[in-house]
Amino acid sequence: MTAAEAATLSRLRRAVAEIEGSDLSVLEAGGRALPLGAAPVDAVLGGGLALGSLHELAPIAPLHLGAAVGFALMLAARAGQGKPALWIQPDFAATEAGALYGPGLSALGLPMERLLLLRVARPVDALWAMEEGLKSHVLSAVIAELTEDGVAADLTATRRLVLAARDGGGLGFLLRHRISPEASAAATRWDIASAPSRPDAFGGLGRTAFTLSLVKNRRGPLGRWTMEWDHHERTFSALSVAVAKTALDRPALSPLVRAG
Amino acid sequence: MNDAADRLGLITTMALADARAMYPALAAADADPEADGALLVAVADWCDRYTPLVGLDAPDGFLLDITGCAHLFGGEAALCRDLVERLARQGLQAAAAVADTVGCAWAVARYASFLPPAGGGRSVREADRVGVKSGIVPVGALRDVLLPLPLGALRIDMATVAALAQAGLKCIADVLDRPRAPLAARYGQNFVRRIDQALGREDESIRPRLPVPVAMAEQRFPEPIGHEEDVLGTIEHLAHELGRVLERRGEGARLMQVALFRADGKVHRLQLGTAAPLRDPALVRKLFADRLAVLGDECDPGFGFDMLRLSAQVTERLDPQQTGLSGSGDDPADLAHLVDRLGARFGLRRVSRLEPRNTHIPEFAVAAVPAHAAQGKRSFIPGIEQDSLSPVRPTRLFQRPEPIETVAAVPDGPPVRFRWRRVLHEVTAVEGPERIAMEWWRDNRGNQLTRDYFRVEDKEGARMWLYREGLFGYEVKEPKKPNWYLHGLFA
Repeated sequence: MTAAEAATLSRLRRAVAEIEGSDLSVLEAGGRALPLGAAPVDAVLGGGLALGSLHELAPIAPLHLGAAVGFALMLAARAGQGKPALWIQPDFAATEAGALYGPGLSALGLPMERLLLLRVARPVDALWAMEEGLKSHVLSAVIAELTEDGVAADLTATRRLVLAARDGGGLGFLLRHRISPEASAAATRWDIASAPSRPDAFGGLGRTAFTLSLVKNRRGPLGRWTMEWDHHERTFSALSVAVAKTALDRPALSPLVRAG
Repeated sequence: MNDAADRLGLITTMALADARAMYPALAAADADPEADGALLVAVADWCDRYTPLVGLDAPDGFLLDITGCAHLFGGEAALCRDLVERLARQGLQAAAAVADTVGCAWAVARYASFLPPAGGGRSVREADRVGVKSGIVPVGALRDVLLPLPLGALRIDMATVAALAQAGLKCIADVLDRPRAPLAARYGQNFVRRIDQALGREDESIRPRLPVPVAMAEQRFPEPIGHEEDVLGTIEHLAHELGRVLERRGEGARLMQVALFRADGKVHRLQLGTAAPLRDPALVRKLFADRLAVLGDECDPGFGFDMLRLSAQVTERLDPQQTGLSGSGDDPADLAHLVDRLGARFGLRRVSRLEPRNTHIPEFAVAAVPAHAAQGKRSFIPGIEQDSLSPVRPTRLFQRPEPIETVAAVPDGPPVRFRWRRVLHEVTAVEGPERIAMEWWRDNRGNQLTRDYFRVEDKEGARMWLYREGLFGYEVKEPKKPNWYLHGLFA
C-alpha cells in the first residue's frame, strides 16, 4: 500500500465514522487500549484491545469453548485496575457447558473474588444486564455468554452495547457459544480454538495454548496467531504469526451490514 | 350472621332443617375452612392499612393494635366506623370494638347485644348508620362493661361454659369476685387466666402476622391511582419522607417493601433487598421501577390503588460519607448500587460472588454466595499450588460429572482415548493422577469412592479434567471396571 492509498483509506474511514456518529478516537492508533503484551497482536490492533468498546468471541467448534472462555478470562485478568468484572451466564449455559469454577479462575490468573456472577434465564436479560454493567463505570470488564445465535444479539442490540461501553469506558465481551453469521457493531471479532501445547520437559501439559483468528477489526488488518498464556505472569506470547496485509477490500471479509 | 337473619330470629347453632322451616329460601353451602382461612388472611392483609400490627384470631377475627394510629383516622370511633363501612362495601359484615385489653375488645365485639343500651352507666355504645354494633370501651370502664356479658365472652371453650352453667354461673359478674383458687382448681388455670387477661391484670400482646417495619411512610389517595408513573412518583415521594426518618436514626434500609392497597381490597407487596444501606429516593425509585418492569401483569392495578406504603423492614447503620472531589470512580457504593439494580430485576440470589470453602473435594471447594451477603474472604484453596505449566484446575466445572467411555493401557493408568458426548478424543498429553479421597470424617456412610484425576489434552488441543472413580483392586475389584467421568474443561 502506498502512502497515497493509506491517506485515502484513512480519509474514507474518517468520513464513515462521522456518518456513523462513532467515536473518532477509536480509529486512531494509540487510543485508549488494553495491550495484550504480545507485540504482533498489539501492532495489528493498534496498541491493544480498544477500551470502551465491544468485542465478540466465539469458539470455532463446541469443543473449543473452554479456550474461548479462557481467553475472555485472561483479558479480564489483564483489564484489572482492581475493579471487579461481571460475568453473565444464562442458566442453560451452565448446564450445557459447566458453571464457572472459582479455583480454576484463580489458577488461570483472575482471582475469584474479583468476579461478580449473574445468572439469567433468557438471552435478552443477559443483554440488558450487560448494558447496565457497561454503563456503570465500576467494572473493568463485562462478559456475557450467549448460547444461541441470532435474534438476541443483532446489529441493533450490539450497537446499544457499543454505546453503553463508550459511556462507561469498560470492556465488553460477547461470548457466543457458536460462531454467528449475524452482523454486529463490535469493534473486533475473534474465532478461537485450542491449540496443542508445547509439552514440558517431562512430557506433561505445557502452557495453555490457543489459536486466535481476528475475523473483524475496525481499526486495521486481520490476523491469525497461536498464542500461549503464562498464568503466573498473566502475559500472552505469540508462537506463530500470520497477519493479513491491510486490505483495501476488507469490507468483503467482514460481515456486511444488513440493509433495512 | 347478618342483620336480616337476626330479624328472622335465626341463631348460628340451629339445625339446617329448623332454619329452613323458618325461612324456606335459605341458601346452604358446605363449610370450606380453607377458603375461609384464605379470606381471613386477605382481609388481615387489607387491615394493614390501619396499623402494621395486625394479628389473626382464627377462625373469624383480627386483632389490631391501634395504639398511636387512631388519631390519623379521626379517633377510635371514626376508625372503627371506617373499617366496618369499608368491609361492608366489600360485602363483609363485621363488628368492631376498641378496648384497653384484647380480651375485653374480643368480648364486646362478639357479645355487644348483651350490653345495656347507650347512656346507661359509664359504658358507651354507639350504633353506626350501617347498623353494625360497634363499641368503644372508655379507659377504665373494663370491669363495668364486662360484668353483664355471658361467660362465653371470656374466650373459653364451650365445655367449660356448660360446666359453669351447671353450677349456676352464667355471666361474668357471677365469677369475677369469686375466690380464684377454687375456680382454678375446678375449671382450669386457663379460665382464671382469661379473666385476668380481660381485666388487664395479665399482659397480653398481639402477635403481628407480618414483621413490623422499622420505619414507614404512607400516602392515601381520595381517587385511586393506576398509572405506573404515578405509582413510582409516589414511591419516590414516600422515599423522601422515609429517608428523613432514617437519616435522623443514622440508618439506611437493607430490605424495603412497598404495599399497594388496591381499591377493591387486594394488597400487592413488592419486596426489595439492597446490597448496601440505602436512603436515596432517586435510587429507591429506580430499583422499584426495575422490579415493576419484571412483574408486569402480576401486579395488576385493577381499579387503582387508594393507598401506598413504603416501609423499611431491615435497616443498617449508614453514616454520611465524604465524597471525593475527583468525582465518581471506584466508589464501592456504585458497585453496591449495580448489584441492587441487577438484584431488583433478576432476584438478589442470582447475583453472586464466588467464595472458597475449606474442603479439597473439587465440587464443594467453592460456593456461589449472594453478592449482597458475600464477605469477600480469601482462603486456602487446596490443589492449585501444584507446580505445572498449565493451570491445575478447570475454568468450567460440570455440576454433574459426565460419564465417558475410556480405553486405558492398564486399568489403573491414564486413558489413551475416550468418548465424550459421542466424540472420540485421542489423548496426546496427560498429567496425573491427582488422587482425591473423599472426606471419611464427614461422610459416615463411607460409600464414596476415591477419585484419580487426570488433566488430559487431546489431539486438537482441547484440555479436559477426567477422573476415575474407585481405586482399582481395592475399592473396585475385578471383574468390575472403574467408571470414568469428565468433570471440567480447561482453557
